[in-house]
Amino acid sequence: MLYYILRRLLSLLPSLFIMSVLVFSFIHLIPGDPAVILLGDQASPAQVAELKVSLGLDQPIYVQYLKWAAAVLHGDFGKSVFFSQPVAEVIAGRTETSVCIAVLSFMLVLLIGIPIGIVSAAKYNSKLDQFFSGMSMFLASVPTFWLGLNLMTLFSVQFKLLPSSGFPSILQSGDLTNLRYLILPCLTLAAPNSALIIRLTRASMLDVFKEDYVRTARAKGLHELKVVMLHVFRNSLIAVVSALGFTFVGLVAGTVVTETVFSLPGVGRLVVESVLRRDYPVIQAIILFIALLYMLINLLVDISYAWLDPRIRHG
Amino acid sequence: MFVNHRVCRGIGLLVVCLVLIIAGPVMAQGPKQGGTFRFAAIAESPHLDQHVTTSDPSTNIAQHVFECLFTYDSNYVPVPMLASGYQEKNGGKLIAINLRQGVKFHNGKEMTSEDVAASLTRWGKFGVRGPILFSHIDKVEADGKYKVNLYFKEPFGPWKALLALLNGGPAIYPKESVEGADAKPIPENKYIGTGPYKFVEQNPGRYALLERFKDYTGRTEPSDGDSGKRIAYFDKLMFIPVPDVGTRVNGVKAGDYDYAEQISGDLYDQLSTDATVKTYIRKGAIIGLMFFNSKAGPFKDNYKLRQAVLAAIDMTPALQAAIGPNNLWKANGSIAPAGTLWYTTAGTENYSQGSKSKAQTLAKEAGYNGEKITLMASQAYKFHYDSCVVIAKQLKDAGFNVDLQVYDWATLVSKRSDANQWDMFFTHHAYVTDPVLYTFMNAVYPGWWATKQKEDLASQFTQVLDPKQRLEIWNKIQTLFYEQVPVAKTGDIFSYDIASPKVDWVGAGAHLTWPRFWGTYFK
Repeated sequence: MLYYILRRLLSLLPSLFIMSVLVFSFIHLIPGDPAVILLGDQASPAQVAELKVSLGLDQPIYVQYLKWAAAVLHGDFGKSVFFSQPVAEVIAGRTETSVCIAVLSFMLVLLIGIPIGIVSAAKYNSKLDQFFSGMSMFLASVPTFWLGLNLMTLFSVQFKLLPSSGFPSILQSGDLTNLRYLILPCLTLAAPNSALIIRLTRASMLDVFKEDYVRTARAKGLHELKVVMLHVFRNSLIAVVSALGFTFVGLVAGTVVTETVFSLPGVGRLVVESVLRRDYPVIQAIILFIALLYMLINLLVDISYAWLDPRIRHG
Repeated sequence: MFVNHRVCRGIGLLVVCLVLIIAGPVMAQGPKQGGTFRFAAIAESPHLDQHVTTSDPSTNIAQHVFECLFTYDSNYVPVPMLASGYQEKNGGKLIAINLRQGVKFHNGKEMTSEDVAASLTRWGKFGVRGPILFSHIDKVEADGKYKVNLYFKEPFGPWKALLALLNGGPAIYPKESVEGADAKPIPENKYIGTGPYKFVEQNPGRYALLERFKDYTGRTEPSDGDSGKRIAYFDKLMFIPVPDVGTRVNGVKAGDYDYAEQISGDLYDQLSTDATVKTYIRKGAIIGLMFFNSKAGPFKDNYKLRQAVLAAIDMTPALQAAIGPNNLWKANGSIAPAGTLWYTTAGTENYSQGSKSKAQTLAKEAGYNGEKITLMASQAYKFHYDSCVVIAKQLKDAGFNVDLQVYDWATLVSKRSDANQWDMFFTHHAYVTDPVLYTFMNAVYPGWWATKQKEDLASQFTQVLDPKQRLEIWNKIQTLFYEQVPVAKTGDIFSYDIASPKVDWVGAGAHLTWPRFWGTYFK
């Protein structure tokens, strides 16, 4: 197992290299110039050219890539063109928000999605199942910006129970009560993702319910709860765990709408804003970071397969 | 009886005391110090180095930290700020600027002529707007501790207006902050100014924080526009990027922000009657502009075809669709907004005609045969796109083969620098106090309006010092503007902001171009 994990970790290196070349090429292929964005509308072409020289953007693209790659290998991701701050600092400042949102939303997804999915499958075609199915269809189809703004209007503007937006850093202030800023965003994010997990858990379990060993378990008089949890739920987990892995990465990096609506300083918003500003060093570093996260989560999912299914482990 | 009298007197005194205790705070209501003011900004500020940026979010913050030699009063007239006065000598070829004495930088150092000369020199060489002034300047010289001399190659009328504009302008830094600085922004630890607030930190994605500068040495005249006394009532100012307009509005209503900028026009009617917020319309109008390509394509040297396009457009529906309520826009053909110094009706009979037949006649005379006309717009600014949808429809109805291409802002800015990629593009211009600052007056700005007539008039316009004569020349330039049509102006557009009802201002003209918060306090 250890050898397998090491081999998988080593295989990440060429993938990251290819990813870095692709990202570097694509971002330089699209039109736009960070020097123009930085200087503004009124700058003359001469001033733009001068700033490009100062930022090293006048050099051939392969020279820029080699310099960047050499610096990255020394742990230096360069300086953000827009913020004039080290890229690592800019990304670190956003990671706290994204990790908090992802972990809290993920917990909500687990707490809502899996139990309801199990109940729906166990009570297949009952009124309760129909209610949960309808609810999950609604949650899956409601736009996140609409849900977010309505939750904000209700809980922040009308009842003044929760802050409307922003997220003061817990790491900087040490104040855990700042987590209240994340309640509405996490509910907004958990809604569609929970719906997905409800549908997936239910569907996977219904497939397993048809298996012979489930009929056997019932025939030998095993308690229905044991049949559902030990035989059906556990064997339907592979598809659910796989979806949960991607849900988690999506919650770290793919929450730009929710981050915008709640004005959260997260990774998703940083990606989009950096692309619009053509802040090349930030885009390059952050896409690599997200790619690495995807690869690591994939690895964890694969390892969990072996843990969940002894056939994979022994095979 | 005596006892009763004393008792009555005692009760009377008690009542007076109670009244004073209860009414005291009410009677004493007025400007008071304290509190943290939270400003919900439309976007993140890149940096605060005003020499090298014209970013509005940056100036919103920086105007509290940095000051210029001059500033604007509520009528946009440049008046001394860090300067105490000036003399024009040699027919305007030497401007001697006297500095106020005892002005402290945030690092405790006194501002002297060396700091001013170093700041002006760096701005003149690397600043965004610096070369507009410095292409006319031979030399800047520190003359003693409190005087700076500007030696001009020839008289230059708008010098004071350029020295008063902080956005992309000559903020005064200590000499140490700008020595060796180039086109790159100076680092945060060099954000040292003379303003009523000093820079504390910028936390990307979260906020930029300023705090009151206790040793601020401001002017003593009454506050008027951005001029005069600048009293910092708030302890701290916090500028928070909140990109979504719905969140900015909800945030002010929920009490999470005290002020939110640039709210969309479709919410104006609802918010202006909402007791939980106050609306403020900014005085400085921005103008919508559609540039024509003078360098390549069908509009090159073809003024008649540009006149045909202009004749086809009725600006009113474009403004209605893009902005909304009538009090947030004005269909005004004068380049400068109504009520300002440079307002003139010269040539405006050709503005907003909306005449298909005239457009078709002019297009035929211009030799137009249905060639494709590319119009570039960006959705980064919603009103750009909305205006262009209406304009493109009107042009198609008049027989023009218009191809509306929509890009993100960075792509549009990149494409427009290549004359072969476009025929028209849409943008806007912030309010400027002197026409020399309009982008279309700059021959190297995309659009490239550089005809001999225009260059001659522009040269006369900058060399004349007398305001009356300058206005006469500006009339001629605007007439030429409607003949050669380098740009089609859509109209004047007024942004508006909202604030919590507990926020109040001292003095008039607090909402010129960039909302500022000295003289602002919590009621």
